[in-house]
Amino acid sequence: MFGSRIKLDGELLSRCRKQAEQLGYSSVEEFVTHVLERELRSMETSGGESSADEEEIANRLKGLGYIE
Amino acid sequence: MAWALILGIGCPLSLQAYIGPGAGFAFVSSFLVVLLAVLLAGFSLLSWPLRLLAGLFFKRGGKGRKKTDISRVVVVGFDGMDPKLAEGFMKEGLLPNFQRLKEQGGFTALATSEPAISPVAWSTFSTGVDASHHNIYDFLTRDPCTYAPILSSAQISAASRVFSVGKYLVPLGKPRATLKQKSKPFWKILGERGVFSSIIRVPVTFPPEKFHGVLLSGMCTPDLKGSQGTFSLYTSNGDPSGSAVGGTRYRVSINGNRIRTALQGPENPLLRDGGELTLPMEIRLDPSRDRVRIAVSGQEFELEPGRYSPWIRVVFRPGLGMKIHGICLFHLNRTSPHFELYVSPVHVDPEHPSLPISHPFIYSVYLAKLIGPYGTLGLAEDTWALNEGAIDEEAFLKQAYLLYEEREKMFFKVLERTPKGVCACVFDTTDRVQHMFFRCLDPDHPANRGKETEKYRNVIRDLYIRMDRLLGRLFEVIDDQTLLLVISDHGFTQFKRGLNLNAWLRDNGYLFLKEGLSESGDWLQGVDWERTRAFALGLTGVFINRKGREAKGIVEEGEPLATLRREISRKLTGLIDPETGQTAIRRVVETESAFSGPYTYEAPDLLVGYNAGYRTSWAGATGRVTPSQFEDNTRHWSGDHCVDPVLVPGVLFSNREIRREDPGLTDIAPTVLKALGVEQPAHMKGCPLI
Repeated sequence: MFGSRIKLDGELLSRCRKQAEQLGYSSVEEFVTHVLERELRSMETSGGESSADEEEIANRLKGLGYIE
Repeated sequence: MAWALILGIGCPLSLQAYIGPGAGFAFVSSFLVVLLAVLLAGFSLLSWPLRLLAGLFFKRGGKGRKKTDISRVVVVGFDGMDPKLAEGFMKEGLLPNFQRLKEQGGFTALATSEPAISPVAWSTFSTGVDASHHNIYDFLTRDPCTYAPILSSAQISAASRVFSVGKYLVPLGKPRATLKQKSKPFWKILGERGVFSSIIRVPVTFPPEKFHGVLLSGMCTPDLKGSQGTFSLYTSNGDPSGSAVGGTRYRVSINGNRIRTALQGPENPLLRDGGELTLPMEIRLDPSRDRVRIAVSGQEFELEPGRYSPWIRVVFRPGLGMKIHGICLFHLNRTSPHFELYVSPVHVDPEHPSLPISHPFIYSVYLAKLIGPYGTLGLAEDTWALNEGAIDEEAFLKQAYLLYEEREKMFFKVLERTPKGVCACVFDTTDRVQHMFFRCLDPDHPANRGKETEKYRNVIRDLYIRMDRLLGRLFEVIDDQTLLLVISDHGFTQFKRGLNLNAWLRDNGYLFLKEGLSESGDWLQGVDWERTRAFALGLTGVFINRKGREAKGIVEEGEPLATLRREISRKLTGLIDPETGQTAIRRVVETESAFSGPYTYEAPDLLVGYNAGYRTSWAGATGRVTPSQFEDNTRHWSGDHCVDPVLVPGVLFSNREIRREDPGLTDIAPTVLKALGVEQPAHMKGCPLI
């Protein structure tokens, strides 16, 4: 309900802020989220959506006018 | 938000359920919803004086807002409106209101996004950044873990824990719906400065995110089945029941002028073994009056051939007292020589939303109370039903304009309620009608074969005239302090020939099929990943099978990757269609070289810019490797824009002078921010246009 907060060292945060600005992120939160997601994906073996079966995947895209 | 709370009390929801495609439920009973609404209303009333005081002391938006002479920005989005066509019709004097707007402020072509696909372009409109910053490159991408296709815009995953009761699986917690678009829409930035926005049906806003304003989700919102739209066709003639593209055909028998069948709903998310939820449907034929009477979900209504029903409310009951509400349209195609009934995809009922389709959640209910039931499916106009012959051209146009009229009514109601801030509304009619009738502008279009063309020659002209009428109505309700921007995300061109990029990659030794196969099934089934170096999926993207990125990647990063990218790009650029002798591909963009944003690593490595008249083939878009590379496009879907973006700019009309040459979609968000006195953030690279 109140969201999740993580404390970062002040200097680390300012480094993150600098990188976020340089790389074109809209905020430091977006930068940290992206870095964490990328790192976690390389550590985890299975993808979030890959567990869905083929029929379910096809169903989700069914009706999208641009594709058959 | 007091109105919303009062409304919440006034119209108790029988159930708040979240259905995800294949996902479970998390539900709050109607009693809890009402109780919560009462408590919130009480809290809202009691805390009002305190909130007022707090508002005065910590006025949201006090910081960083400059005074301007603009109090409201109205953005009307006509998806796919083409500048060349608009200019031509204006010259013929057919669009007096667009002409007036042009003379009042300005009119120019508006550079679209790279690639020129609606979810990409509208994301650029919302965030003011390119695809490498908002991470939407197409409608779909591949899951690098499995090579399976996934929607680029949203991810819905089932609740992580379930409680087992007999045959039921009750989810504990709600499924997680995540918007995959990155960066920040301008309405969030405005909200942080206290500026209120009403955002109606802007694409890639499902699931909606919190901000200071109201929002109704647009393109990519699923139907009740979790698909992008699945119609049903009930027929007493033809092939046996089975799946069609974008829908399902059901063979029915007539016994004594009665048909007993069923309306198909979503998968039952509560049952361990799943299975589709259905509603019994009885159709009574009255041959003397050429009418039918349909009884479904406790309602009865009459239909005559060629007519649509109003939205019919249907309620599916998965068990444990739960209800899933939907709405759909019925169209009686014919009663003789055989019976044929079309039922639209079952949309999420905006009055009882089983998915989060608005912000706040109750906003869709509020709109339904204002204008009655309305379509909520992202791509609501049923293009596949026309492609597949489940409805004809007349029925498609009726449906498209029925949805348009709802949107128009909604837009003016919302505009009335947004005296300050931003009111942005996107109309999809322009895009869908052009997709389906563009062939009528080209006598040589292969899709004209066997189809009526002359009769529909003016459909697109009439479409633009209809939009002009909306603009005329808009002039009556805006004042001098309103900045009016009429924009489109891209223009249009013909789609006469399709190229299967996977077939080209196979023929050129970049893609291999498993031993003994000469073609593949959908979604790259049958591809030999141990040998494949590149594959295509979606509307413009080619992916390199990169080691470390794709599950079975074989191309090393660094020089091998750069060399391969350059090689494919060079060979594809200027590719000639041997049958017509025309250039099929004008240019190819290497994503990591062309873009500077943080989301390039997982993007398609190459973006293919087709020439006018060409697009990725139907089979190619779904990752099927066909025997031949090129094919005629013979479908009703005969116009497109998934080509070199230079060929299909959108439009920009403004009631204030446009002070920049060659504007692009990235300039719109900075323009809106500047108009309302909010500083443009550093990550937005566009320039204000006024």
